[in-house]
Amino acid sequence: MRLYEYEAKKLFKRHGVSVPDGVIVDKTTIDELNKAVFPVVVKAQVFLGGRGKAGLVRTANNKDEAIDHINKIIGIKHGPFFVQKVLVERKVNIKKEYYLAATIDRLEHKPLIIACPEGGVDIEEIAKKNKKSILKYYFNPGHKIHEFTARKIAADIGIHGQAMDQAAKMIQHAYRIFIEFDCKLVEINPLALTDNAQLLAVDAKIDIDEDAMFRNPELKEMGIFARHEIGELTEREKKAKILGIPYVDLEGGDIGVFPGGAGFGIAAIDLIQHYNGKPANFMDSGGAPTQEKLRAMLGLLIDNPDVKAIFGARFGGISRCDDWAKAVVQYVIDNEPQKPMIMRMAGNMEEEGRKIFEQAIKDYPELFKDIKIYSVNTPIEKVIEETIRIARSIPDKNTQGDL
Amino acid sequence: MSILVNEKTKTIVQGITGKNAALHTKFMIEYGTRIVAGVTPGKGGMEIEKVMVYDTVKECMDKYPDIAATSIWVPPRFACDAILEAVDAGIKTIVVITERIPIHDMLYARAWAKEKGITVIGGNTPGVISPGKALIGMLPTITFKPGRIGTVARSGAVTYYLANSLNLAGFGESTSVGLGGDPILGANFEDILREFENDPDTDAVVMAGEIGGVYEELAAPYIGKMKKPVIAYITGKAAPQGKRLGHAGAIVEGNMGTAKSKIEALRANGAIIAETFSEIPELVRKALTGN
Repeated sequence: MRLYEYEAKKLFKRHGVSVPDGVIVDKTTIDELNKAVFPVVVKAQVFLGGRGKAGLVRTANNKDEAIDHINKIIGIKHGPFFVQKVLVERKVNIKKEYYLAATIDRLEHKPLIIACPEGGVDIEEIAKKNKKSILKYYFNPGHKIHEFTARKIAADIGIHGQAMDQAAKMIQHAYRIFIEFDCKLVEINPLALTDNAQLLAVDAKIDIDEDAMFRNPELKEMGIFARHEIGELTEREKKAKILGIPYVDLEGGDIGVFPGGAGFGIAAIDLIQHYNGKPANFMDSGGAPTQEKLRAMLGLLIDNPDVKAIFGARFGGISRCDDWAKAVVQYVIDNEPQKPMIMRMAGNMEEEGRKIFEQAIKDYPELFKDIKIYSVNTPIEKVIEETIRIARSIPDKNTQGDL
Repeated sequence: MSILVNEKTKTIVQGITGKNAALHTKFMIEYGTRIVAGVTPGKGGMEIEKVMVYDTVKECMDKYPDIAATSIWVPPRFACDAILEAVDAGIKTIVVITERIPIHDMLYARAWAKEKGITVIGGNTPGVISPGKALIGMLPTITFKPGRIGTVARSGAVTYYLANSLNLAGFGESTSVGLGGDPILGANFEDILREFENDPDTDAVVMAGEIGGVYEELAAPYIGKMKKPVIAYITGKAAPQGKRLGHAGAIVEGNMGTAKSKIEALRANGAIIAETFSEIPELVRKALTGN
């Protein structure tokens, strides 16, 4: 889970990694600028790189210039993200830039520190130019970093003399943050040596492991809550999170996907796209969901105005098809959704599930007229193609005239 | 034969007093799995499904020195410790059902197990089943039939759909292995493919991978060396970047872990790529009969 630069720097500052003085500003907190020491650099807070090229990092010599930049930068769309906040930092005079990061080697299954005597550009760019200049130091999982190792790294990238001790401490602190806050990445690029011999983390990138947040209460204290790996949650995703349902909105989709487990959910959105349909979401019921959870899942999809039809699938393994059928039937009776549902049910207690649907169709023919239930005899792909066909037959809202 | 687990494997359940673990202990026993003991610290002396509960794994080992496998069902924050306890006791196969184990914990536990030559399956695995013989985990047994196809998949539900479509076409499974949906896994595709290649009762392997990580790509060179055919189904082509899809490990990070890179690596090494579930049995049949 990616932190914003200002969040990462806050964590750095609290745990011994020096950063330039700065304030965080949005449209409602312009007065924070009174604390800034000019000249400053105004940096848009977004999750994607390439800010410089996009004009999202600008220098200002005084407050008026800074306000001007802020007004121009806030609200700009960078990739899929809108700029909402800027970090206003004291401009430092950089003598030399280095690269420093701690991350996990997914092949070796070990943490490592990556260091380079060149910094300030993307590490991929450095690798293209001069792969040999990128130095790697592997650690055993759970082991701490020794002082001498930190000094060795500093010396290897050419930091000597006065700055050596500073650098070694910074490397140790950064690695400690990496371990103690369960990070996947801690990157300082550039690590800058200023003209008054100070070492500062001028940019900061931190990815933390969301699954370890339970033991890092400091993050919550800092106002850092769950979000996507990269990006904030949409309103619907936040609602799903509260309900305990893994859910992701997919842009431009019109088929609500009501699957079983995560792996099948991923397969389902692929298959819909394979047959030229447009999935509106990813969702995961988890193992053996309760009836309440199933109804909440359906509710999320039905309430999405972009969803025209729903594709559902239940593979009764441990969970039972009849329980699933009961949940769907109850939802339809309670909520009278005006959207077609095309579903396949197979496996454990399939026959009993079918009877529940048959009874419901008999009792409430009007409510269930757009609901189709397929069995194990129909391949999942056929059910998906049928859903796509039905979704296509429903016109878009904005083409329905002006009634 | 089969791989990893059979009707003779003596096994224990760590975290057996949990609701889910207790339920699945019942199902495992019904299926024929030899569960000799359970462990929950502080609850020693209890009985779950007529299985004696101990406080420590070591006590189980003292009583039954030939325990060969364990399954772990404890909450994520205790999973690392539970794995280490099993490693320390010398249990050869550890099946980790717990999902969303912190990455650094799993790296640590994995390194310990590796050093002692112990096989860890998971985290977030639905388990391992050798149909007709034994199950360790929570796979729905009715879905599997004895046969000669090995399956290995990251996800539980995909494992069921694979078995279901194979069974409808008249095939069955020698063993079905769920690798798990967490980002850091014990065993990877290559480890399991090696087992199947050496298993005289497996004729072909179906593997199902998904976005995230590089375990599929890593297995590709080995597939190139295998004598048995491998049919691969990779999901997540439609996945957006930078968002986790249910499984903690199912995420495209930068250019790493895309469905495209996995499919290309597998295809280049001779794996037969399936685009949909339904075509898998036919691809298996063709691979086995040569037409």
